[in-house]
Amino acid sequence: MNAFIDFITGPMVWISFLIFFAGVFIRVFRLAQEANSKEKFMFSYFSWKYSLRSIFAWLVPFLPASTRQSPVFWGISYLFHLLLFMVPIFLLSHIVLLEESLGWSWISLNDSIADVLTVLVILALVFFAVRRLNVPEVKFLTRSSDYLFILIVALPFLTGFLAYHQFFFYRTMVIIHILTGELMLILIPFTRFFHMFLAPISRAYTGSEFGNVRQARDW
Amino acid sequence: MKTKLLLIIMGFILLLGAIGAYSQDEEIVVMDTSAFENTQRPASVFDHDIHNEMAGLEDDCAICHHVYDGKTLVEGESSEDSYCADCHSLSKTAENDVPLRAAYHKRCKSCHFETNKGPVLCGECHKN
Ligand code: HEC
Ligand code: HEC
Ligand code: HEC
Ligand code: HEC
Repeated sequence: MNAFIDFITGPMVWISFLIFFAGVFIRVFRLAQEANSKEKFMFSYFSWKYSLRSIFAWLVPFLPASTRQSPVFWGISYLFHLLLFMVPIFLLSHIVLLEESLGWSWISLNDSIADVLTVLVILALVFFAVRRLNVPEVKFLTRSSDYLFILIVALPFLTGFLAYHQFFFYRTMVIIHILTGELMLILIPFTRFFHMFLAPISRAYTGSEFGNVRQARDW
Repeated sequence: MKTKLLLIIMGFILLLGAIGAYSQDEEIVVMDTSAFENTQRPASVFDHDIHNEMAGLEDDCAICHHVYDGKTLVEGESSEDSYCADCHSLSKTAENDVPLRAAYHKRCKSCHFETNKGPVLCGECHKN
């Protein structure tokens, strides 16, 4: 079993990152190619200034007017996305492993704080699932795969939480934790998770058009 | 209905948390952690003599208690009269690239991986 754990905490991590980066590169490249063949004119008004302005405006909680109309949803969504990145990147256990393998390390969250933040991430995901089940206009747009994606995001956090507390099936929990974490990374370029990259790209597109063509703000 | 189910599941998880937090284990021999500031994890399980007997390491103290001359390992000498923390600081230094935490983890885990025996996951050494 140690040999299997060695594999999933060693080579498999590299493989997952490789697929992630290659996938992202290919998809962004294809997108640019497609834009070039179908909507070449948009490059004529593309602007870094308006792109970055739009991306930045949408990163500031509640700056965009539409986000103020549903403050609960957007508040939870902002917090969720922040924690989704912050908790894994600044988690002590992850840094401990990185320190051993590459000699890299940076500041880490206190374990008990990370514990609470993990619960917040899980609660946010429960909220998203409940919202899809209950709010008619969201329900209408929901496919069953949406719940699957919520589950895929939830699993590494849930199993990480359970493993940290060493409640039961410790080894199994950690193994599922590692595998689902890697699965999520691999899936990003090929699924809805790609909105991680599409969102800023479409903000740049909209921002440029509003700034340069319509001379208006897009938030 | 489905909302209720999700809430029940969440409640169940929190309950398990509470049970886990209050159940205590029997006495186990653990490492001295005084060299670390603000420890984050329970001290690692390590019963020195029993461990080394089980793992057949009684004749090779220097596997763990090594001696260095600058950055080169001195073969055939051992340092069981020193603590790891005498030479390994909490963060990298000019004399020693290996911080204390990494020194322990590398030493302990690499052998458990190589021999395919012994604990390799956080909670198997840092037992609650
Ligand atoms: C698997 C690694 C390992 C091996 C093999 C090993 N030791 Fe140790 N030993 C340790 C660690 C870890 C400590 C704690 C060091 C510290 O706190 O800095 C320790 C501490 C000691 C101490 C100090 C105890 C104290 O409480 O002050 C002595 C003495 C010692 N070892 C002797 C030996 C001898 C003799 C051998 C060979 C028969 C040996 N050790 C083999 C890991 C090992
Ligand atoms: C006499 C000083 C000294 C003591 C005592 C000492 N070390 Fe080291 N150790 C060093 C030096 C020096 C290096 C080399 C660091 C470098 O390359 O920058 C080193 C390297 C290491 C390495 C990385 C190289 C390797 O062998 O894998 C590990 C792991 C390690 N030590 C673990 C330990 C542990 C565990 C203890 C206590 C049981 C310990 N050391 C006690 C001085 C010491
Ligand atoms: C040179 C090899 C080696 C090194 C170094 C080593 N171990 Fe082990 N360890 C083993 C082996 C082999 C076993 C399995 C023994 C068995 O179950 O027969 C083991 C088992 C264990 C166990 C489980 C014991 C039990 O009761 O089942 C613990 C805990 C442990 N090691 C902790 C440590 C710690 C902490 C260190 C570092 C200070 C360390 N080991 C360094 C070889 C090593
Ligand atoms: C083979 C046993 C072993 C495994 C597996 C292991 N550790 Fe450790 N760890 C030790 C030993 C021994 C020390 C030094 C003594 C101590 O603090 O218990 C240590 C020290 C630490 C420390 C510094 C002291 C503290 O509590 O702040 C942290 C943090 C830590 N380990 C975290 C982890 C994490 C996270 C993992 C899993 C990614 C892990 N360890 C896996 C044996 C282990």
